[in-house]
Amino acid sequence: MDFQLARERGKIINSVRGFFIDREYLEVDTPVLSAALIPEAPIEVFETILRSDRLGSRSFYMVPSPEVHMKKLLAAGSGNIFQIGKSFRNLEQTGRQHNPEFTMLEWYTVEADYMQSAELTEELFGVLAKQAGRPELSPPFRRLSVQEAFMEFSGIDLEKTQSPRQLVEECERLGMLQVPTDSRMNWEDLYHRIFLTWVEPRLPADIPLLLYDYPRRIPCLARDIPGTPWKERWELYIDGIEIANCYSEETDPARVEDFFIRENAKKIASSAVVPDMDQEFLNIFHQGYPRSSGVALGIDRLVMALTGVKSIEGVIFFPISDIVGG
Amino acid sequence: MVRAGSLEKGMAILIKGEPYVIVEREFVNPGKGSAFVRTKLKNPTSGQVLRETMKTQDQVEEIVVEDNDCQYLYADDENYHFMDLDTYEQFEVPVKTFEDYRYLVKEGETYTLVMWEHRPLDIKIPYKVVYVVTKAEDAVKGDTVTGATKIVEVETGLKVKVPIFIKEGEKILVNTETKEYVERVNS
Repeated sequence: MDFQLARERGKIINSVRGFFIDREYLEVDTPVLSAALIPEAPIEVFETILRSDRLGSRSFYMVPSPEVHMKKLLAAGSGNIFQIGKSFRNLEQTGRQHNPEFTMLEWYTVEADYMQSAELTEELFGVLAKQAGRPELSPPFRRLSVQEAFMEFSGIDLEKTQSPRQLVEECERLGMLQVPTDSRMNWEDLYHRIFLTWVEPRLPADIPLLLYDYPRRIPCLARDIPGTPWKERWELYIDGIEIANCYSEETDPARVEDFFIRENAKKIASSAVVPDMDQEFLNIFHQGYPRSSGVALGIDRLVMALTGVKSIEGVIFFPISDIVGG
Repeated sequence: MVRAGSLEKGMAILIKGEPYVIVEREFVNPGKGSAFVRTKLKNPTSGQVLRETMKTQDQVEEIVVEDNDCQYLYADDENYHFMDLDTYEQFEVPVKTFEDYRYLVKEGETYTLVMWEHRPLDIKIPYKVVYVVTKAEDAVKGDTVTGATKIVEVETGLKVKVPIFIKEGEKILVNTETKEYVERVNS
C-alpha cells in the first residue's frame, strides 16, 4: 500500500468512526486474545500460549471476530456499541480478498432487527460513497433474497429442495458433481457448491447488493423466521465480493446452546485447533439477552470498494502474501 | 489421491476415466461455509469444459503427467503435427485439443507438451513470445484520424493490435495469455 492510499484508508476509517459516534454508539475496544470462543466449524483460528510461572501455560485464541466480547457488553447493558479492530482467521490462501489478519467493523444496535441494520448500513454508504466520489456505491442497495437468487441463477427452488437427496438431484441436473469426491453429501456443502458455482458469479455487480433471508440449514446465530426455512440474515455484496454479514441476533438460550454443541462436535471432527467453548457467553442468554441486530463488515474490503483497488494487498501494509506467497 | 486444495493450474485429474486439465483455480471462502476451490477443467480430447466447485478437503484423483519436448512441424485443418525430440517420431494432435494455441505456435519451434500415457493434454507456451509481423499496412504520414493503433498479422496468423509505427518485417513481443502487444523487439 502506498502512502497516498494509506491516507484514503485513514479518511474512510475516520468517517466510519464519526458516523457511529454521531449516532451515539459507544466505541469499544475488546481483546484480541480470548480464552474461549464461539464454536464455528468452518472457521480456523490462531492459537497461542499464555505462560507464567504461577499459572503454568494456557491456550488462548485470537478472535475471528469481536462478537464473543461485544455480545457480553450488550448483555451487561452497554446499549448500542461499535468497534473497529483486528480479527484473525487461519486461512488456506492469502491475497486478493483474504489476509489472515484483517480489520473488522462490528456494530450492534439494541431493539433493532436485520432490516433496520440494513437501513443504517445504507446511510453509512451514503456518507462514504459521497466522500469517495463513487456515486455507484450510494444507497439504495439492490435487494435479492437467497430464494430469488437461486431461482434466477440456478433454476433451483430452495424452498422445495430441503433434503440432501433433492439437492443432489438438482446438482446432477446442472451437470455438477462430476468429480468423484468422498465428502459426505450434506445439504450445507451442496448449497455452497451451487452458490459458488452458479449463483455468486452471476450476482449483479453494478450496484451494492443485499442478499437476504439465508437458509435455516446453514447454522449461525441469527433468528429463524417462524414457519419458513429461512433466517433473518443478510450479506452485502459489492462488485461480487462479500463485504458484510448481518443478523437479527438469536436470543433463545436453548437455540444458542444447540448451536454451540453442534458446531463444537463438527469442529472436533475436522479442525486442527479446537478452542474451549465460551460458557460465560452461553450464560448471557440464560440471563436475558436484549433483542438486537449486529453487522460485521470487512474494513479492508470496504477500502478496496471505495478506492477501486482490486486486491487486499493494495490496502494494507505488509500483507502476509508478501511472506508466504499468494 | 490429492486434496482438491492442492490443485494448481496445469495439473490434471481423472474424472470417470477421462483426463481433465485444471485451466483455472480460485479459492473461495463463503461466510459460514467451509473452504472451497472453484475450478475450470478441460478435457483435451473432447474439448469439454467443466466448472466444478469442490471443498478443499475433497480427495481427487490426480494423474501423473510428463513433460515432453517436441518440435512443432505444421498444422493442417484437423491436426497439429509434432515431432518428439527424444524419439524423433512424428505424431498428430487434433486441433480442437489445443484450439486456443492455433495462432500462437510457430513452425519449427520446440514446445513442452504435457503428456499422460502418451496422450497430449496440454502445451506450455511461454508467457511472452516474439513474432515477426507478416502483414501490416504502413501508416500514412500525418494520419492521426484512425488513432494511434492498427491491427497487424504475424507469422502464425495471429492478429494483434499494435502501435501505428510497427511495420511489416519487424518483430514484436506478445503476451500469449491476453494476445496483447507488449513491445517492439530490436533484432
